[in-house]
Amino acid sequence: MAAITRSPQLGLIVVLAVLGAGLTFASGSHTDALSGARINNFLNPHTLIQMATDASGFAIMGVGATIVIISGGIDLSVGAVYALAGVTMAMVLRAAAPLDPAVAVLLGLATCLAVSLACGIANGIMVVGLDVHPFIITLGTMWMLRGLAFVTSKAESILVPGALTAVAKAPLGLGTALYPVPLLVMLAVTALGTVYLARTVMGRHVFAVGGNPEASRFAGLHVGRIRLGVYILSSLGAGLAAFMGAAFYGSATSSDANGYELYVVASAVVGGASLSGGKGSALSATLGALLIVMIRQGIRTLHLDQNYEWIIIGGAMVLAVVFDQRGTQWLARRAAKNAVAKPSAAP
Amino acid sequence: MAPAVRFSGITKRYPGVVALHDVGFDVQAGSCHAVCGENGAGKSTLGKLLSGIIQPDGGVIEIDGAAQRFAAPSQALAAGVAMVHQELALCNNLSVAENLCLGSMPRRGPFVSWSAMRARAIALLGDVGATIEPSRPMQELSVAEQQLVQIAAAVGSGAHIIVFDEPTSSLSEGEVDALYALMGRLRARGVTVLYVSHRMPEIFRLCDHVTVLRDGAHVTTVPTSSLDERELVRQMIGRELTQYFPSHVGTVPGDELLKVTGLTRPGRFRDVSFTLRAGEVLGFAGLVGAGRSEVAEALFGLDPHTTGEVRVRGDAVQITSPRDAMAHGLGLVPEDRKQQGLVLMMKARENVTLPFANRMASRTWMSHALEKALTSDWFGRLNVRASSTEVLAAELSGGNQQKLLLARWLAAGSKVLMLDEPTRGVDVGAKAELHARIDQLAADGHGVLLISSELPELINLSTRILVFRNGRIVGEVGRAEATQEVLMRLMAGLTSELATA
Repeated sequence: MAAITRSPQLGLIVVLAVLGAGLTFASGSHTDALSGARINNFLNPHTLIQMATDASGFAIMGVGATIVIISGGIDLSVGAVYALAGVTMAMVLRAAAPLDPAVAVLLGLATCLAVSLACGIANGIMVVGLDVHPFIITLGTMWMLRGLAFVTSKAESILVPGALTAVAKAPLGLGTALYPVPLLVMLAVTALGTVYLARTVMGRHVFAVGGNPEASRFAGLHVGRIRLGVYILSSLGAGLAAFMGAAFYGSATSSDANGYELYVVASAVVGGASLSGGKGSALSATLGALLIVMIRQGIRTLHLDQNYEWIIIGGAMVLAVVFDQRGTQWLARRAAKNAVAKPSAAP
Repeated sequence: MAPAVRFSGITKRYPGVVALHDVGFDVQAGSCHAVCGENGAGKSTLGKLLSGIIQPDGGVIEIDGAAQRFAAPSQALAAGVAMVHQELALCNNLSVAENLCLGSMPRRGPFVSWSAMRARAIALLGDVGATIEPSRPMQELSVAEQQLVQIAAAVGSGAHIIVFDEPTSSLSEGEVDALYALMGRLRARGVTVLYVSHRMPEIFRLCDHVTVLRDGAHVTTVPTSSLDERELVRQMIGRELTQYFPSHVGTVPGDELLKVTGLTRPGRFRDVSFTLRAGEVLGFAGLVGAGRSEVAEALFGLDPHTTGEVRVRGDAVQITSPRDAMAHGLGLVPEDRKQQGLVLMMKARENVTLPFANRMASRTWMSHALEKALTSDWFGRLNVRASSTEVLAAELSGGNQQKLLLARWLAAGSKVLMLDEPTRGVDVGAKAELHARIDQLAADGHGVLLISSELPELINLSTRILVFRNGRIVGEVGRAEATQEVLMRLMAGLTSELATA
């Protein structure tokens, strides 16, 4: 019980649950034409899996962004990396066609990851080597990579082979028009990110460098190498998200994922990552992405005027962060009070 | 006559701690009143309450007989109370003049009047006998000059009660003397001084009254003349401190661990040569900036522009990174434990294993159990007082933070330990314990390189003392000959005939 109440994700989970319950009650229901059953307009498999699909891109990139933010940096280029990886993959597959389905999928994934790896190395080398704030470096690469995607693809929308779509939309035994693969990839990336941060040496080093770069240097850590690594991971996340996105929707263009960098940073920050470094979690980033998507879904389900979408999302994001911080402080105060009241109790 | 300040029933709580509990005493007008206690006793909290930075949870503060409740420092200033902070409380990016006039910029219409501002700044600085060019940016000023600006601002705002929070902690000897002189002038003008410090010589030299706090409670308020240093320490720590320094185990120096020849870093130090044997504590004495810390950092691989020969156990080695230094058995407990030593928001355990986290992992995965066992083992051996290995480094007291860093390098297997100001900002009881640990380390066959600005500490712990001046070693003093006077002369570069100053 104590482990649950002390969990840093508690606030977010409560917010998600309350919002989900509210939407379930407020959205009403309709009668399914085929089966005649009453179906809730929000709490139904299609809407939930659609939300998970929408969130998966933000979440996959959000886990990478969280790692960068924990290290004390920021990566604004992920949306552009997504676009460049997507169009490069689509062009490579178009040039190599016809391909065996399995080869097409593997070549596509490899292309996306290779392009994003190159972008990540470029970001990391510039951040470390030029000693310029990562906000500036990745703002620059954001425009450069987006421009590169635009020039190489000539702004075309390029179709990707059906084999990729078949993988991304594999029903895996669920009913038709239910596509669980993006959800599963999101969960897998979240789990990987969580284990990486909590259990690997490099994960520990990321927290240390973000918490105090000077002390990390004095402890013999390769601060530059660690910072290079986090930009690579963040970019790889964008590459994977690009593969999933292009495969799922069947095409790639240079304007894909426009503005995603801010959704991604928002997911990480709503998830409690501190922009000053040293604090954050992969699970929280995914929960943050889910919250943003749920708010957007709520606007649609409740038939609110979609012109207000940005105003609501912006306001909700600020509220979520404030709520999260206040909640943490309140828990800390309560824990402190208990500790003072029972000084003999061993922690 | 009403006292300048009367505290009654003051209580202040923070999450997890009661910083002050039912504290009450008077500060006589025109006096210099010391508030002392160990770290965490609540003395700085009291200063912050008086100057309106924080608000009490209970109790009343009376200024000149009238009860006051300050919601902000500006209200305290209006009532004539100002605080001179330990750390810089000014805008680093602005000029001296802008800082001095920050609260009320002289204007000409909507524009700032630079000439009027400059004139006012010169007047304010002159008032406290300071000659600082008002157009200089704050960040260029020395700590002493920054303090002068703070004091000028406080006096200029009409403050007749000034709180000094450990003002001498980062000043050189000469600057301390200048500060004393200034405080004398302030008192001559009828300013009441509340002096927060735990430095014995200052309290006895400057203050007429002393209040002792311990664990947030008021212990006593007496005239300074009614007790001596020993008694004051006893009041502060609540028990008799049997000895400041350990009695030496008297080990015979063993094998040569470290031999440094002609170590040079242009602009920082030149031609530094020494040897360190197992079982020795080699002291580095010198004024701030004499090159002591720089030598230690260079030996630890933090300065790539160093030349010279370093031998570890007789083998010539190249140390170009802290990782190399670690591999050769060197460890450095740096001067600034919060900036250079610890990641405060990480757990104690994680801080211990930081340099060798890879050794706590089998293949890829780190074993928290292994880390916990290792950490609690070393915490036990060094007597680190922490409720568990999982507390954040920030939650440990200064002495325990230092011991954590010692544990880190001992666990890493270091044979040569370089300790840079290991007892700075550590309270009296913890200091004595750190001294005992340092002695024990040498007895266990480690080589200890001790950098300290506290001469008694150097004299009592070191086997030999090297004295640095302007980046060079200017003398070596054995334990038998080491006295504060001998060391001071060498440090300051005085010949023995002129040394009476």
